[in-house]
Amino acid sequence: MDLSQYLEMFIDETKEHLQNLNDQVLVLEAEPDNIDTINEIFRAAHSLKGMAGTMGFKRMQRLTHDMENVFSEIRNGKMSVTPDLVDIVFKCLDAIEEYLDCIINTSDEGENDNEELINMLNACLKAEGAPEEAKPAQPEVKEETKPEEDGDKRKFLHIDIADFEKNAITEAKAKNMNVFGVTVYIDESCILKAARAFLVFKGLENKGEIIKSVPGVQDIEDEKFDFDFSMLIISDKSLEEIKKIISNVSEIKEVVIENYEIPNNVEVVSSVQKEEKAPEKEEVKKKKAAPAKSGKPVANRSVRVDIEKLDVLMNLVSELIIAKNGLVSVSNQEDSKTSMQSFNEQIEYLERITTNLHESVMKVRMVPIESVVNRFPRMIRDLSKKLGKEMELIMTGEDTELDRTVIDEIGDPLMHMLRNSADHGLEPTIERLKLGKPQVGTIQLNAYQDGNNVTIEVIDDGAGIDVEKVKASAVKKGTITEEQAEMMSEKDAIDLLFRPAFSTSEKITDVSGRGVGLDVVKNKIEGLGGDVEVSTKLGEGTKFTVRLPLTLAIIQALMVEVRQEKYAIPLNSIVTIEDVSVHDIKYVQQKEVINLRGTVIPLVRLDEVLDCSPREEEPENLVVVIVKKGDKQTGLVIDNLLGQQEIVIKPLGKYINIHRMISGATILGDGEVALIIDSNALV
Amino acid sequence: MDENTVVNESKQYIVVKLDNEQYGIDITFIDNIVRMQQITRVPKAQSYFAGVINLRGEIIPVMSLRAKFGLPDKEYTNATRIIIVKPESNAKIGVLVDEVREVVALEEDNIEKAVYEEQGSNLLGVGKYNDTLISLLNIQGVIQDLDNA
Repeated sequence: MDLSQYLEMFIDETKEHLQNLNDQVLVLEAEPDNIDTINEIFRAAHSLKGMAGTMGFKRMQRLTHDMENVFSEIRNGKMSVTPDLVDIVFKCLDAIEEYLDCIINTSDEGENDNEELINMLNACLKAEGAPEEAKPAQPEVKEETKPEEDGDKRKFLHIDIADFEKNAITEAKAKNMNVFGVTVYIDESCILKAARAFLVFKGLENKGEIIKSVPGVQDIEDEKFDFDFSMLIISDKSLEEIKKIISNVSEIKEVVIENYEIPNNVEVVSSVQKEEKAPEKEEVKKKKAAPAKSGKPVANRSVRVDIEKLDVLMNLVSELIIAKNGLVSVSNQEDSKTSMQSFNEQIEYLERITTNLHESVMKVRMVPIESVVNRFPRMIRDLSKKLGKEMELIMTGEDTELDRTVIDEIGDPLMHMLRNSADHGLEPTIERLKLGKPQVGTIQLNAYQDGNNVTIEVIDDGAGIDVEKVKASAVKKGTITEEQAEMMSEKDAIDLLFRPAFSTSEKITDVSGRGVGLDVVKNKIEGLGGDVEVSTKLGEGTKFTVRLPLTLAIIQALMVEVRQEKYAIPLNSIVTIEDVSVHDIKYVQQKEVINLRGTVIPLVRLDEVLDCSPREEEPENLVVVIVKKGDKQTGLVIDNLLGQQEIVIKPLGKYINIHRMISGATILGDGEVALIIDSNALV
Repeated sequence: MDENTVVNESKQYIVVKLDNEQYGIDITFIDNIVRMQQITRVPKAQSYFAGVINLRGEIIPVMSLRAKFGLPDKEYTNATRIIIVKPESNAKIGVLVDEVREVVALEEDNIEKAVYEEQGSNLLGVGKYNDTLISLLNIQGVIQDLDNA
């Protein structure tokens, strides 16, 4: 069966289940007796197992299966939740995530068996004296595909039985009941195998108890077996009777039935050996298949859309059609005066629709920030354990929505900042107590919408940034000189943190402190059109503020003219627009600068950098657009201002080489294409 | 029956003109042919790119075949056309030509394969059609070796 069409769905749902599991296990850690949570975990693990099984990801299936076993025991009250167990479960979740990543990239689960984790899980089961020994799912799977040339039709001999089943068998024998091993072969021409199998089970139901079947009952119902299945039955009826009941079902080719004895150890060993061989073969097969696949992720990115949003879109589109029809009928009108008037009406109508349409489409692209931040509680918990610091994460505004493209990119920077706060920001617990601070450190993650921006704050109540220490460290590294350090304002010093390869932490931990952190954060956020700010108070804590645009695709821009060509400059980078007399231009190192209210600002002649034909006559006054990148400002000399406009950013297409200073293009109202200037490249 | 075999062996080409030379472009790569429209210059792009155009809301780079082949610039006329070529499924590029003449079907027998050493990778070969010669463009080659040009 070709499962690739389900792969995307599988990935989405697995992600959801994993997130759910992470959340629930966190709750479980806080309240180990919460039965609702345990049930929820069990259900999620079960669904994961089922899905992995359906998709043929056997390693993943096996791991989730064992997890499910553990929680089944907990649910039945036979085991209790211990911190160790929670740790192991978290590790399992990580392992499943690894499988998932692998699947996303190669559509294959990879070759890590995670044997260690499975053993740990099983050890937990055993340690608690649970009667059920976790049985690996793999032998079962192998069972059904084993070729018939085995010679032995008594396939039931290969059924792996767990301890409790052994107990049941011994008990039954003690009660003088018969235990039969049965293997049923269904006619190969049979179409409804599952139905026949069902009839067999139904017939046997009244005569005895089926303690085990291979494949499992569920799989048989789903027709996940070849043309035979095996089972163990405890019954007080005779062998012949049972055989007759089964043979009475039509399209049954053969019934092999025998008194069943619990297999001795030798057989168990041999089946273990076979087990080991099977994965090897699989691996070889998979290795062959792997190189053919490209490095691109197999699954496409998708957005889940609220059906209501789609309904709104649908409505708008139908209105659009009505508006178009309106225009057609107007054009058919003969009286030119009335037609002009209704034409204008129709245009207004159309305008309203397109505005709404634009808004709705933007909404469809918006995703709550929750999808990014919901993995952070788990991360903070792990960090707390790893660093030996007590801390808690308080999140607000998880429902704040951002454009999908921004959401995809923002996760890593945020994670970096949180790690930073946890590692460098918060003091060790002992120190906190000494300082008279609450024992548990707090990290806040707040998100809220602020006009056309979304603001995300990461606040910790830790030690704050020691500005002197930052300066000293910078001097030591040679980033700045001592004189510079003395002159430096507090704000400038803090900005040093965002320089590449800068870390004030003396110790390098594997949490953070390698000095590759904050500059990457800053770059990424600026790449998204946002900015980062830090404010800190020594001894009281640090606050990182990230501001991001709501969407990337549509921006406000200033339209300018250079010679006959039109260009767009993003409004968010513009500080002011000035009229500058040519006489006010000064020269510093042969470069043109102006002195604007005490600030010296270099000038860039846009016509020169854009290779325009030179102006015949230099005017007395130049129009200068002052743009900023961080604290640096530059004046762009243009010819004319055309006004402010909302523009849609479009890529310039393949094949053409594009200079860094052009970030894209947009289509103006008259259909003309205008290029967008990335002022960051010119500052 | 006869017709079928002919169709199977022949390929269709759009014949375009640059000065007096005729070039053939394999029709399977062609998405569209549009009239000359306003082209926005893109500074610092390769010299043979005339700029970008707006094709129904999509921005498409346009290269000038004249500039690419080192021919002098010529004023755009009423006959000037932009051929929208789709060398890959997800990318389009416009090719500026002086004139689009016709669509011809050329049979394998009428095509003389290019010897690569002599012709460079811009041409696939030369086709004979009604006593005229048509240079068959290797349109993917023309577009792809942009970096070396």
